[in-house]
Amino acid sequence: MLSLNASLSLASQALQAENGAIGITNNNIANVNTPGYSRQVVNLSAEAISQSGGSIGNGVAFGGYTSVRDQLLQISINTKTSQSGSLDTQTSALTQIQTAFSGTTSGIGAAMSTLFSTLSSLSSNPTDASARQSVLSSATQLANAFRQGSAALASAQTSADAQVVSTVAQINQLTKQIASLNGQLQTLTGSRQEGGSLQDQRDQLTAQLAQLTGISQTQTEGQPTLTTGNGSPLVVGDKAYALQVTTGPGNLQHVIDASGMDVTSSLSGGTLGGALTIRDTTVPGLLTGLNSLATQFASAINTAQGAGFDATGASGQPLFTTSATNPSATLSVALSGPSGIAVSSDGSSGSSGNLANLLAVGTSRLPSGQTPIDSYASLVASIGNSASQAAAGLTATNLSLSQLNSMQSATSGVSLDEESTNLIRYQQAYTAAAHVISTVNSLFSVVMNMSSGG
Amino acid sequence: MRVNPNQSTALIADMQQAQQTLATAVDQLSSNKRVSRPSDDAAAFAANLRSLAASAGVDRYTQNSSTVIARAQLADSALSSVVTSLTQAVTFGTEGASGSLTAANRSALAAQVQGVLDNVLAQANLTSGGMSLFSGTAAPDQAFTADPTATDGVRYNGNGGVNQTSIGDGLQVAVNVPGDQIFLSANGSVLGSLHQLVTALQGGSANDISTATVAVNSAIAHVGQQRVLYANTVSQADAQESFLSQETLSLTSQQTALTGIDFATAATNLTQAQTAHSAVLAAAAKVLPVSLLDYLK
Repeated sequence: MLSLNASLSLASQALQAENGAIGITNNNIANVNTPGYSRQVVNLSAEAISQSGGSIGNGVAFGGYTSVRDQLLQISINTKTSQSGSLDTQTSALTQIQTAFSGTTSGIGAAMSTLFSTLSSLSSNPTDASARQSVLSSATQLANAFRQGSAALASAQTSADAQVVSTVAQINQLTKQIASLNGQLQTLTGSRQEGGSLQDQRDQLTAQLAQLTGISQTQTEGQPTLTTGNGSPLVVGDKAYALQVTTGPGNLQHVIDASGMDVTSSLSGGTLGGALTIRDTTVPGLLTGLNSLATQFASAINTAQGAGFDATGASGQPLFTTSATNPSATLSVALSGPSGIAVSSDGSSGSSGNLANLLAVGTSRLPSGQTPIDSYASLVASIGNSASQAAAGLTATNLSLSQLNSMQSATSGVSLDEESTNLIRYQQAYTAAAHVISTVNSLFSVVMNMSSGG
Repeated sequence: MRVNPNQSTALIADMQQAQQTLATAVDQLSSNKRVSRPSDDAAAFAANLRSLAASAGVDRYTQNSSTVIARAQLADSALSSVVTSLTQAVTFGTEGASGSLTAANRSALAAQVQGVLDNVLAQANLTSGGMSLFSGTAAPDQAFTADPTATDGVRYNGNGGVNQTSIGDGLQVAVNVPGDQIFLSANGSVLGSLHQLVTALQGGSANDISTATVAVNSAIAHVGQQRVLYANTVSQADAQESFLSQETLSLTSQQTALTGIDFATAATNLTQAQTAHSAVLAAAAKVLPVSLLDYLK
């Protein structure tokens, strides 16, 4: 049986517990819209029955709170976030690239058609100077179209390269912050305290890091460890390992890990992975296709030119000139004047016999096995496919990510309805405990009066 | 299982999705295009590029057909005029061969035939777009120039070349007939026979005039044969033009099918998108404001 003092103490303990619970509920409500916040649940437990206390309990013990979070779900979210970051970067770059290849009345395809049309108009009157000038102008337009296409690809590559540098800087900033939080968390867990909002912040920063690059989360000797997908350390416990960038082959930025190893080719996922994919795989692939088309088309036209004679009766000279290193970016018209168009097949100025050879370039297969327009159409289809695949992948990944976030919110999100209900529960319990104190106080008064009356 | 208490994130995503679908539907309906950029449908976009190139090819063939028809008609009209002139010369020749004429009369006739010869020469030197119609593939200022020292009284400045133009895949037609083939042929030399007639009228015998007149007649027959070549070209190019206009229609329809959108489908898509958008907004309006706190007042 409890003494009045013990009852008073027990009720006071209850008041403190409910007060603590109200405080935690208050904190949950305050953070209802805080990104990454995990709701906290109150840890209340019945005090153990003391040996001397008989069968009546010793009241309630307030054990602080526990943040509700699902670490496995968080890892899944980070993985998807990395995929999403990579696809988002690729979609954005490919959308820009495809703009340069979206023209149906302009661009390389239309310019090719114009060149052949202007050539064809010479068939009836090869001596027409204005028609010859039109051929030269359309050849210049085609060369410009190739250069513009090449410039669009080069620009996407340069942007991706710049993105690598800025992303690595952001990664280093984040890993530093995460390492610092790890240090603070180690102190807390050492004192057996719940990580709470510090852990939430670390998870939030880790998700931001996952947005920037693919990461792997493990524990090394009890210390949380973050590495890149290929295992280069980023954070081990309270130590951050910064990535470096250095100018490598092709004047492109390469990523070096803390051990000095070039990890550029093994990085994947996140903005960094997406930018590297665009810079090192997508754009070079497209540029190879464009360069090949430029070289083969120019060569075919120049060969056809060589088979004929210009307006002065001289053997046809190359119409286009290009450099071997970057053909599409350097394609230009080599002829100095319209008389250089080798329309004649026999040297007589009124002959248009060589037009057949020049026009045949448009319908003959290039060494690539396709006609020029087929080759160009395939290149554009390849850009379109890459862009639509990246966009479709992004939509699917974001849908999946949204579901995972919804699941995480279901686990860790603050419900105002739930917190309001809890608030009422704790308020009522607090009121009841206060009533107990009031009652015990009354009993004390009765006992006191008994003593004075006796 | 606990329900996600934060519906707003999902609702915002749904609203954005509905907005995107609505924007796409409006864009497709207003542009009447399903494919505006390669990523909309890469295969269709590429096929459209090929189709547009084919259209440009058909346009070239149509242009060439028109040019070749105009040129052939101009040449044929010149040759028709030549035939008229030659017929006139035959009349003068027949008249000149009559034994009753004096040398002065014949000389007057010779002057008239010379006028005919000048006319024919002018026709033979006709140009189109700055290039002689009857100089083969050479491009002299004049296809023929008078040359008293030459057998036929004229010198041919052109060559025997023939330019071809494409009016279809693998279909080429001759743009010209060489001038010497028309005007200086061994089968009936137009300019030679007229020159011969002038010479005969100026001092030859009645027999020489008759022979020259017969030669002019042969030239008329020869020019008639040459006109057939031009007529064939015109008829071939005409037929090809009809085919090409069908081809243009067919390619345009192919391009519309590849990148265009059916109006009914576009309108239905828009209605569906509007309904979906309204539904998401209505759902958000119902769900978001509801809270237990509303009932605790």
